[in-house]
Amino acid sequence: MLVKDYMTRHPMMGDPGMSIVEARHYMNENHIRHLPIVGDGKRLIGLVSRQTLLVEPGRISSLDIWEIAHHLSKMTVSDVMVRKEDVVTIDPDATIEEAARVMVEKKVGCLPVLEDEVVVGIITETDIMAQLTAMMATRIPGVRVTIHMPEVRGELARLVAAISAQGWGILACGGAPAPREPGKWEAVIKIRGVPRGEIVAALSQIKGQEIVDVRETD
Amino acid sequence: MRQARDIPVLRVENLAISYETRYGDVQAVRDVSFEIQRGDAYSIVGESGCGKSTVAFGIVNFLGRNGKIVDGRILFQGRDLVGRSQEELRKLRGDRIAMVYQDPMQALNPTLRLGDQLSEVLIVHRGMARSEAEDRCVHMLEQVHMPDPANVMQRYPHQISGGQQQRVVIAMALLNDPALLIMDEPTTALDVTVEAAVLDLVAELQTKFDTAIMYISHNLGVVARVSDRVGVMYAGTMVERASVSDIYLHPSHPYTLGLMHCVPKLGMDKSSSYLYPIRGRVPSPKNLPPGCIFEPRCDFARKICQEERPSIREVEPGHWSRCHFAEQVLAGELQPLAHLLPNLEARERSGEASKLVLNVEGARTYYDAPSTKLIGGEKQFVKAVDDVSFSIRKGQTLGIVGESGCGKSTLVKTIIGLEKPTAGTFEFMGVDISTPVSSRDLDLIKNLQMVFQNPDSTLNPSYSVGAQIARPLRRFKTVPRNDVRDEVVRLLNMMRLGENYYDRLPRQLSGGEKQRVGIARAIAGRPELVMCDEPVSALDVSVQAAVLNLLLEVQNEMGTTMAFIAHDLSVVRFFCDTIAVMYLGQIVEIGPAEAIYAPPYHPYTEALLSAVPIPDPRVEQKHIRLMGGVPSALHPPSGCRFHTRCPRRSLLPDGGAICETTVPPWQQVTEEHRIFCHIPLEELYKLEAVITIDVEEESHVG
Amino acid sequence: MSVAETTPSKTSEAPAGTQRKWWEPLTLIFRSGVGTVGLVIIVFWVLVAILAPLIAPYSPLAQDSTAINQPPSAQYLLGTDNMGRDMLSRLIYGSRTILLLAPISVFCSVAVGTFLGLLGGYFGGLIDEVVMRILDAIMAFPTILLYLIIIAALGPSALNVVLAITFVGAPGVARLVRSLTLDIRTRDYIRAAETRGENPFYIMFFEILPNARGPIIIDSMLRVGYAIFSIGTLGFLGLGLPPPTPDWGGMISEARKYIWTSPLGVLWPALAISSLVVALNLFADGLREESTRYQ
Repeated sequence: MLVKDYMTRHPMMGDPGMSIVEARHYMNENHIRHLPIVGDGKRLIGLVSRQTLLVEPGRISSLDIWEIAHHLSKMTVSDVMVRKEDVVTIDPDATIEEAARVMVEKKVGCLPVLEDEVVVGIITETDIMAQLTAMMATRIPGVRVTIHMPEVRGELARLVAAISAQGWGILACGGAPAPREPGKWEAVIKIRGVPRGEIVAALSQIKGQEIVDVRETD
Repeated sequence: MRQARDIPVLRVENLAISYETRYGDVQAVRDVSFEIQRGDAYSIVGESGCGKSTVAFGIVNFLGRNGKIVDGRILFQGRDLVGRSQEELRKLRGDRIAMVYQDPMQALNPTLRLGDQLSEVLIVHRGMARSEAEDRCVHMLEQVHMPDPANVMQRYPHQISGGQQQRVVIAMALLNDPALLIMDEPTTALDVTVEAAVLDLVAELQTKFDTAIMYISHNLGVVARVSDRVGVMYAGTMVERASVSDIYLHPSHPYTLGLMHCVPKLGMDKSSSYLYPIRGRVPSPKNLPPGCIFEPRCDFARKICQEERPSIREVEPGHWSRCHFAEQVLAGELQPLAHLLPNLEARERSGEASKLVLNVEGARTYYDAPSTKLIGGEKQFVKAVDDVSFSIRKGQTLGIVGESGCGKSTLVKTIIGLEKPTAGTFEFMGVDISTPVSSRDLDLIKNLQMVFQNPDSTLNPSYSVGAQIARPLRRFKTVPRNDVRDEVVRLLNMMRLGENYYDRLPRQLSGGEKQRVGIARAIAGRPELVMCDEPVSALDVSVQAAVLNLLLEVQNEMGTTMAFIAHDLSVVRFFCDTIAVMYLGQIVEIGPAEAIYAPPYHPYTEALLSAVPIPDPRVEQKHIRLMGGVPSALHPPSGCRFHTRCPRRSLLPDGGAICETTVPPWQQVTEEHRIFCHIPLEELYKLEAVITIDVEEESHVG
Repeated sequence: MSVAETTPSKTSEAPAGTQRKWWEPLTLIFRSGVGTVGLVIIVFWVLVAILAPLIAPYSPLAQDSTAINQPPSAQYLLGTDNMGRDMLSRLIYGSRTILLLAPISVFCSVAVGTFLGLLGGYFGGLIDEVVMRILDAIMAFPTILLYLIIIAALGPSALNVVLAITFVGAPGVARLVRSLTLDIRTRDYIRAAETRGENPFYIMFFEILPNARGPIIIDSMLRVGYAIFSIGTLGFLGLGLPPPTPDWGGMISEARKYIWTSPLGVLWPALAISSLVVALNLFADGLREESTRYQ
């Protein structure tokens, strides 16, 4: 689960000489929110988002309507873009959770993926969301069980052992500290091809663990 | 956020390109629209001169000084490329579009080491340090499955084989990680087994690099193998576009339908099926018909077709066709007419018991190889043909298949007397013919004639068609002097060319017509045996069928015996009664046509069959790829010559150690069918059939 | 059948094409400005040569002892030479000699060269080796030296000038024809002729030669230019035609002695030679350009 496998390769890119009118048009027409700006050899120069293209009123408030039009037509993306130094980027060999962490920490929705300064792709919130859906096997029918367990080493292994003792397979599995319940761990497990009742019966046997939610998905 | 996965990488809208010529502007491409999604492979298929390469050159702006885009848009990743300055284009397109040509040497500089050429790309575009760039290049060469990449980096282009050169060019194109890769007939110059490996590579890279591929080809089989969607071009415009299976199974344009019917499918043979040629020739862009451009050649043309030019429209979801009657074509209501079929009624099938026309025993043709040493050094031989034995019965056709350099042409030249045999007995109707043609008597010469491969060089450009056909008539005195002209006209008619061709010069003929004149000249003396050296391989598919039908007719009418060289296994299967598979100067398998195409196979035959591109997406082929290139005929491998590449050696004990040391035995499968292999027949029988047709899918779709 | 049906336009075009054929090269040459200029000058000199007796004011040999080394005047348009002969008339008659000798000698050298080139190129092997090495040996000599040797040995005469030029020119032609032959020999129609068991000489002259004619013709044009040059040179060296035959090279040689007193005497024949040579070169260039573009 590395960035290079989940990023969008060959993203649409702009060049610094592009006028902001053209850039906005380009982004609107193709429904994209971020546009890496590259120079020769696809080297990153900056990043433009829809927000950056909204010119701050302060810059033009003193101009009359004709001057504004003229001013806008002369402005290029290099005037408004976030410069390379300030763009948060990531390496194609980084893990996907690292990309998510960077995005959360820096509060950005998109990371250009750089290999020696060359843009090889772009990874966005959507890509990571898509990955989360895939990790939880959302699209595959099965029984999804949420279990609370003490935050002790070996608890998840006990759960897994119990399932494998039944001869079932695990379709997806994830865990995190339980929200609002300190000292507990919340695990989500998805099992395919087994009736709901059997699963509940088997899992409720495990001591110290508690089924908090069971649902069938399709 | 959405980096718009549904925005096509390339979208071409109503593109029109013209060239300025002496005669005014000529529109080479008109009204072409298509789009390629990211990671998709899109094929443009069409015959020579249909404008498919022009479209590609338009996209990369290589139209030359006299070409220009006159209409339409080319949107690359959503931005229009038309009407921008060179500098803007360069920035826009940057290194995001790469192109691979048919001839790899066009892209490689013969005076520079491959390593320098490859790393140059990275050094210039990315300002990478040399050593790092080289590492990256070696890695890329590994990705295109180049054996021993570090060594290849040190070599010059001419030191590696054609298939390897093409791999280097593909690697070079991929170094910049392009969003769009345009491939213009990248495998046309390669042998089938090499071609198959390159096509595998293309498919693999497409998924690995998420690169959109625009694949240009004339070969329907290649297109079926490589792409998901296809656009069919004819005379500068796109007549149909759809998914591969729709195009092949349910074409909705008569031209596409015609193309499907005029190529022999692997498994077809002449006694049970026909090829339906498309009549006429492609109109020149200067002189297009006013209505539908295909109307003059269309079997279904109605009045409206002559008057109104149809526009391309969606017949079913995702299936576009430029025909007034697309629905009818799609529904299968219009089938090719029979009026162009060869007249084969009088076919005699009594050929089986008839006498041997040609009998070759232990034929060897060696060429002196120039010694690399200035003085002394052992004399070396290129063993072009080495110990070949076969025979042909009267009225039968022997097909000889094999990759380039396997000696098939040399074998034929030896028989015809253009090369001197080194050893062996050659008997033609009981007469020894191991003599060169200059010392044969006229009657023998008359009975052994040849049809050549290249339509552009088969006729002497200085003489009229009539004069060239008349020459053998005069020379062999086939008919009395005064009847020569009538006989030439008769032959022209037989070739369906008409008397008005008598005075034309070769440059006024199309490729197919030249080839027919070549056939007329060969059969003028009413020879007993005609050698055909790849007579249709240089022709467009729609013309191939007509030429093959004519050859069939000739054979039928005159009872001519034929030897037919080809590299196209479908054509050979269709045309020949007996087939010999050659590898490195030797026949490895020989037998009746239907026996060759079913187990037991020689491992080489098996690999060939698995490599041949089949224009039918329902066909399942076993995946067998040969490693490496054909070894040099100067130093053929010991024992079995195929042992260096044989994928089936593991069937033998010790991994086939015997193959390296001992010449294999001839194993008789049936009286007629022999296989030159160590692997016991029982094992060979166990091999699965290479080609299976999944007919269920058809019924399911239909 | 269909093919015949679909090409009616071709049918009407084809016979016209064959009839138009002989003057087709001329239309070709007029497309090229350079070629047209060359052709006009050549035609001018050819007409002058043909019409010499009509347009020359005097006999080229008539001497006027009262007017020696005269500058141009109304009586003698281009002046007179050291023997009082009219320069204009001598120039006009001189064109006859040169326009006769140059093509003849070129024709001979092309004929010999073509034969040897075909021979070497088609047969290859030992024949090629022997023929080409001999020709190389000839080409290794400086041209002027060869002329000098040949004429000195045979004596100056029109025939010997032709012989000398043939001898010197043939190797070049042979090289050209050989390389053309090597290329054409690999074509399938040659193999077709061989499978018909045609005589090698038939193949050489009827199958190969017609397809090599284009470059040979262009080369011959250039060679005529060189030949004019060579004849001029030989004349200048006194090895050309024996006096008093009007000969441009000889005229220059004569006039050279009086170059300080009447410089125009050198100028006229020099101009004549160079105009003709340049014209032939222009013509050949135009022809080559247009014929390659045509294909």
